[in-house]
Amino acid sequence: MSALPATMPTPRDEHWKYANLRGLARARFEPSVSPPAETVARITAALPKPLEGFERIVLIDGFVSSVSSTPSAFTTTSPISIAKLNADRYFLELNRRLRSDTLRLAVARHQKRSVEVVVVSLGTSHPAIEIALAEGAELSLIERHLPLSADATVINLVIFAVVGVHAQFELSRIVQASPKAQHVETIELRLCEGSASKFFQLTTGAALSRTTAFAAHDGRDSSLEWHAAALGEGTQSHDAFVHVAHSAPSAKTLQQFRGIAADRSRVSFTGHMRVDTNAPYAQCDQSLKCLLTGSEAEADVRPQLEILTDAVRASHGATVGKLDPDMLFYLLSRGIPEESASSLLKWAFVSDVLRRLSNPAIRAEIEYSLERVLPGAVAARSGT
Amino acid sequence: MTEIQAMLSIKDLRTTVGSRKVLDGLSLQVSAGEVHAIMGPNGSGKSTLAFTLAGRPGYDVTGGSVSYCGEDLLSLEPEARAQRGLFLGFQYPVEIPGVNNVYLLKAALNAARKQRGLPEVDALEFLMLVREKMKIMQMDESFLSRGVNEGFSGGEKKRNEILQMLVLEPSLAVLDEADSGLDIDALKVVANGVNALRAPDRAIVLVTHYQRLLDYIKPDRVHVLACGKIIRSGGPELARELEARGYDWLLIEAA
Repeated sequence: MSALPATMPTPRDEHWKYANLRGLARARFEPSVSPPAETVARITAALPKPLEGFERIVLIDGFVSSVSSTPSAFTTTSPISIAKLNADRYFLELNRRLRSDTLRLAVARHQKRSVEVVVVSLGTSHPAIEIALAEGAELSLIERHLPLSADATVINLVIFAVVGVHAQFELSRIVQASPKAQHVETIELRLCEGSASKFFQLTTGAALSRTTAFAAHDGRDSSLEWHAAALGEGTQSHDAFVHVAHSAPSAKTLQQFRGIAADRSRVSFTGHMRVDTNAPYAQCDQSLKCLLTGSEAEADVRPQLEILTDAVRASHGATVGKLDPDMLFYLLSRGIPEESASSLLKWAFVSDVLRRLSNPAIRAEIEYSLERVLPGAVAARSGT
Repeated sequence: MTEIQAMLSIKDLRTTVGSRKVLDGLSLQVSAGEVHAIMGPNGSGKSTLAFTLAGRPGYDVTGGSVSYCGEDLLSLEPEARAQRGLFLGFQYPVEIPGVNNVYLLKAALNAARKQRGLPEVDALEFLMLVREKMKIMQMDESFLSRGVNEGFSGGEKKRNEILQMLVLEPSLAVLDEADSGLDIDALKVVANGVNALRAPDRAIVLVTHYQRLLDYIKPDRVHVLACGKIIRSGGPELARELEARGYDWLLIEAA
């Protein structure tokens, strides 16, 4: 294989400062192997019930294995990366070279689709999802990673989406990898005029995970909500770098992150927003918070605003703290055992992000995923 | 009244908060069926007494003993005290967004039932119980689905504290300034709630600044707490005297 045009990130690359690069360097990014038919059949049989009203598509090791209904034809060609730095493109380009299938999801003008993509990783995989929403189209996409393998799987995923003029896109991702997994992903969103996009992500599991994301407000009056939560336990490392570029007037971005670092884990999030000179009347809000619940855990949140025009409304806040002792004592004083009380407060902290989910089916899915790491979470929410 | 009969027996209790000595040899006996009012000037240690009984971290007991229903209360964790029927009504109830009110009520009730060897409460039975208590507190059912105290006004928070108390039916309720920040109508509602809990097998300790709460909840005993200890005890007439004369005369006498 010839050398990649991009180079592997190093700790000297600002966007990769908190990523577990040593772990990534050890990961073996090899071409994925098509899973045998019996494996596909076994996995398909073990999958949870499909979400009501959603088409289901299953990706096993990056191969499109089953499609409950045929996706419409894809209308764009060869997306161009908006990642400028060499290091940020490294895993994207690696994916392009090694990917097997590309799952293309398109929604035609003024049409609506609801799609559930189930991603299963058994060995090494390079899943690729390309999405195109035409003018006025609506797509609700839930992407669920199922930790079906106990092995040290390696996944390098790429999502590329073009959200057309006045289109509405909701992408909800449950990245629940197996404990030994190494999970890297690159996400790019291009937001056209008047479009509205909502992004949700819950990251749990995986020995290490890294999200590199770029979103660009290419058209005026576009809006983006980016809500993410990551829960680290053991020696896990979860790191994300999210860059949002405002390149057109009157665009809005709301970015929220809630991370919990337990045990000896490391959770980090860098939210970088840039408002160009030709993008006045922008509104940018960032709220990045981390909870440290492990004595040897580490959390880093970095809100970064780079504003090159005067007419901007912007706010940003970042905190790293421990469980609120007043809240904890209040729950204890009501007889709630300490472990449950801590779990409830962690749930409350993360629910700050999850309450933004508008689709009840997706919210239930995400809440049930959280139940594994925060027992009692679902009950606390619903009161059942 | 003998000490053996007392539900709560506090002897020579000494508590420090940080490096500050707050309770300094406080003794108090409360028997089942009684309502005791603790009054006193600001900074005298009233809230410290409430938090010490509930086991709040940072309130370090340096001396004395507290017996509750025959058990050494101070050796129990805060949650174990609550499970055994001790309820603290907070002066400033904490907001916990994301944790549902009704969930907290149910989890707290089940924790107490578990301690008593009872099964979890039946869902329908629980709902009927909560509705009945909400009626007493004149609370709308929409409160149940909201986060604990989230966005509640001061009065709503106080009502919510008393609602929790009514659902949990504690043996001993320690209410820290249940009347602060309430208008007269809300005060009556809160007082009704507290009176609804009065029973021969329960006791209530009211921490308050003002006589006005005691117009609606008639105490059996009134105590004045100053400089970390009880400096005077008496009947309901003592509260009226304090309202008329303030605390200075007692402080001078005690000195």
